[in-house]
Amino acid sequence: MVDLSTKLGRLSLKNPVLVASGTFGYGRESEPLVDLNALGALITKSVSLEPRDGNPPPRIFELPAGMLNSIGLANVGVEAFVREKLPFLRTLDTTVVVNIAGRTADEYLAVVRRLEEEQGIDGYELNFSCPNVKKGGLEFSQDPRLTASVTQAVRDATERPLIIKLTPNVTRVSDVAQATAESGADAVSLINTLLGFAVDVKTRRPRIHTGTAGYSGLAIKPVALAKVLEVVQHVDIPVIGIGGIMGVNDALEFLITGACAIQVGTANFIDPCTGQKIVQGLIDYCAANRIGAVSELIGSLKMWS
Amino acid sequence: MNEESVSVGQDYKCIDDCAVLSIENLSGDVYCMRLAGRHIAHQCSPGQFVNLKVTQQYIPFLRKPFSVCRRDKEAGWFEILWKIVGTGTAAMARAKPGDTFNVIGPLGRGYREPQNMTTAILVGGGLGIAPLLFLCEELRRNGVHVEVFFGARSASDLAMVDVFQEMDVTVTITTEDGSAGTRGVITEALIERLNTGFDIERVHLFSCGPTRFLQSMIHITETFGIEGQIAIETMMACGFGICVGCPVRAREPKPGEKQYKLTCIEGPVFGAREVVLDG
Repeated sequence: MVDLSTKLGRLSLKNPVLVASGTFGYGRESEPLVDLNALGALITKSVSLEPRDGNPPPRIFELPAGMLNSIGLANVGVEAFVREKLPFLRTLDTTVVVNIAGRTADEYLAVVRRLEEEQGIDGYELNFSCPNVKKGGLEFSQDPRLTASVTQAVRDATERPLIIKLTPNVTRVSDVAQATAESGADAVSLINTLLGFAVDVKTRRPRIHTGTAGYSGLAIKPVALAKVLEVVQHVDIPVIGIGGIMGVNDALEFLITGACAIQVGTANFIDPCTGQKIVQGLIDYCAANRIGAVSELIGSLKMWS
Repeated sequence: MNEESVSVGQDYKCIDDCAVLSIENLSGDVYCMRLAGRHIAHQCSPGQFVNLKVTQQYIPFLRKPFSVCRRDKEAGWFEILWKIVGTGTAAMARAKPGDTFNVIGPLGRGYREPQNMTTAILVGGGLGIAPLLFLCEELRRNGVHVEVFFGARSASDLAMVDVFQEMDVTVTITTEDGSAGTRGVITEALIERLNTGFDIERVHLFSCGPTRFLQSMIHITETFGIEGQIAIETMMACGFGICVGCPVRAREPKPGEKQYKLTCIEGPVFGAREVVLDG
């Protein structure tokens, strides 16, 4: 028996394979296709205080081994989430983390306060890093001081585990991770999408209505791994690795680099069973290599001497 | 066969490795593939689609959506129709019987059959004929009188015309270059037909095709005051509501209603007055 459990601050998970926010809806959409209980945790689509329609189309564009998206955090809003989505999530035998998006510190706080009244939520992930909905052209987590102050404010409002999702679109992501560590976050998750752009040369229009968009998929994995490496080397906080994870080998790369868990994102659009398959793949890898616990793998990177 | 299906309400989708039973080059770059899939064959309705993984590699990266063009419940197969437009569709054309494709389906909301309808006018632009073939079979089975209008650029873009002709329906064809049927565009032929008269309460227009074509269809339903449905095609990633990448603008949403509808789960078939097609 391989011990797959992992710990992210005060959040304990049965295995380190999570599904990323915005790539798995609110769980029910994938239910006929996937064993949701096989997942270490399900992270919901971002929930904001009010419902959001999202951005005008085109919202997505396909690229070699990746894609651009600019959805604009289309979501049902916190009240409809509690009423329509949460009852189903409560029936699952897996950890449920609610991802929260806001335009201001007050909006994050208001959503958290509302969710604090509800049972069946195991933690929060604060989306400080959507490249498609910005306050003054900046993502929250591009500013370490703003990141620290909002993290602290939310920390003071909940005992539940708190994950901060970071943008890679900064010079030093470890500075931002440090700010969250000092403000009471349990873990950081990275990377959110890279800022990308593409042009249709026939029409000379941007491929995405909003112009710039978030770049994700297998193609971004090396960038994601480098950002994870930077944080694990410089900051004392558990890291959840995200970016281009398509299968168990990709997941292993992140764990060996030092991530305590991983999130499957864009791969869910292609195969919603990816997370479930990675869990099985980790069991097989550990068994084949006589590894008793996945925790032995985490940070087991052997640098060249 | 690896079927992992659980039905939730009306959600009958499954993920399945489907074996290629046959593949045929119908004309020019147009192909038809028959895939084994008992669950999809049983559960799909006209206008619904499947999302097919073209390759185990990563180019193309996303699945590709295809309308179900025909199915056989007894034999447990369904067919899709496509034209080579890029690397993915070219790779599909090289498939051989026995190869398998991973398929998610059936997906989306298909055509609704209105009560009181006695005449169905099916209008296809280019490969928009695919879901209309399946629809035509179902409507004929239910005793509905069907008239088919089919427009394409040239004869090499025409497919499945013979199959319609075998179904005891009237088929009108136009091509822009005059290489088959009447030279011209199908909207003109349709307007000509509607000008000869019809029972407004009992005729219904079903269409599928490119955006400009569907805009004309919306216009025609308004001009003649008839009810209609359109099946639209958009960029799509997941096909079942999680990526939220395939919105279409809702027509005159009331306060509190959503500004966009998702093509994959609320479509791909919409009422002709339900959405606004941009572009």
